[in-house]
Amino acid sequence: MQQALPFRDWLTTAGSGGGGRSAAAAAANANSVSESTIGDAGSARKLVAENAVVVFARRGCCMCHVVQLLLRGHGVNPSIADVDEQNEADLADELAKIAGDGSAVPQLPAVFVGGELFGGLEEVMGAHISGELVPRLREAKALWL
Amino acid sequence: MNSTSARFVPSKRMGICEPMHQMAMWDFKGNNFLETSPPSMFEIETNLDNLSEDTSHGTVGPSSKYDQEASKSDDKVRRRLAQNREAARKSRLRKKAYVQQLESSKLRLIQLEQELHRTRLQQGQYVGGGIDTSQLGYSETTNPGIATFEMEYGQWVEEQNRQISELRSALNSDMGDMELHIFVDCGMRHYSDLFTMKATAAKADVFHIISGMWKTSAERFFLWIAGFRPSELLKILMPNLEPLTEQQRLDVSNLRQSCQQAEDALSQGMEKLHYILAETIAEGQLGEGNYLHQIGSTIDKFEALARFVVQADHLRQETLQQIYRILSTRQAAQGLLAMGEYLQRLRTLSSCWSSRPTEQT
Repeated sequence: MQQALPFRDWLTTAGSGGGGRSAAAAAANANSVSESTIGDAGSARKLVAENAVVVFARRGCCMCHVVQLLLRGHGVNPSIADVDEQNEADLADELAKIAGDGSAVPQLPAVFVGGELFGGLEEVMGAHISGELVPRLREAKALWL
Repeated sequence: MNSTSARFVPSKRMGICEPMHQMAMWDFKGNNFLETSPPSMFEIETNLDNLSEDTSHGTVGPSSKYDQEASKSDDKVRRRLAQNREAARKSRLRKKAYVQQLESSKLRLIQLEQELHRTRLQQGQYVGGGIDTSQLGYSETTNPGIATFEMEYGQWVEEQNRQISELRSALNSDMGDMELHIFVDCGMRHYSDLFTMKATAAKADVFHIISGMWKTSAERFFLWIAGFRPSELLKILMPNLEPLTEQQRLDVSNLRQSCQQAEDALSQGMEKLHYILAETIAEGQLGEGNYLHQIGSTIDKFEALARFVVQADHLRQETLQQIYRILSTRQAAQGLLAMGEYLQRLRTLSSCWSSRPTEQT
């Protein structure tokens, strides 16, 4: 079952972006995976707050691919945020802040469920095997079963 | 004029004494003329003096028949002596080259002997699980991380065999659950140790781990990302357990499905990695002969391989933990025994296979 995501325009404001940073405007659509390129750390916070499941993934990373497959296998439609290499360090810091004070800087792929940092591939796989993943997804309203 | 005399450089007048000494000491036929030469030298000198007055100035022109013949002989002598000098010189050069070759060969031999000694020492440390040393490539024998792993894995297998025997007798005895529990925990921890060892070894040489070279050939046949497939193992051990409750049956079924999904996801991830690595190494024009850049960028991506090994082992670990939660102590013991003996059978199969008589053609 697919999550109906609200229509959103992601635009970086001309002032905050700074020269050369890429940010794509992504329209979230109920029937497609919403993807956006993170160029601005602020939009990361927005993504996490407004989507049930967000995966921050390095472009072309195979581990990130595995996480997406696992989640989609459950019928979840995660929002994928593609991260450029140059923005990775900043983003990691930002994610650590979102996750809460004192958390370790998360490694990519980083999965947020219901606004909270769920973990990386290891945590997702562990929860998948132990059966804890589905209830968490339901809680976050990522699944409607 | 006898032939011996022709070998000596004539006349002190010409000022060529040194070559004569060398020739005297180094004779083609190996005879040392040193003792015999001095007397002859003087003898010959006198003879030659008699034959030609002053060869460097040439002769004025023979006025008599005797003189004519004398000058002809003179020419012959001169020519022969010159040829001889030349031959002697070449001989010396050849000797020098030969000696140099011998020296460098000796050095190379010493080098090779040292290398051989080192390699033998390392191989002597192996108590490999199923490895026969002829399979090992040169690179594996010189990687200390892998050498350590091979040794530790050999010990791991021995310990595994011991634990299996213990489990077998424990299950056949009247042992209560409390005691059995200890054996089960032991077994679980043993597998955990293996995954830790593999993670370390994957950092040393991920290709050695992922190729399964450290396993026996039959085990390698069933290899999936550096180890066994969790779902397959579940299938194997289920029939060997005491009857399951309904709930247990359901849980196991769910576990099998989750396992399968996780394996599929990891397999697809690996395929993607294959694709990316192939693309990276083949980037740019093939055929131009310079590809340092491609080598560099591909090597950077190899780190992802080690992560896959870790994740696959993590899946195995999680599956074991989950099965441990679902089953009773006795069932868990039976499960560990079943799994252990299954792997034992594969290892035995491999050694029977490798020691079978091969046909001589």
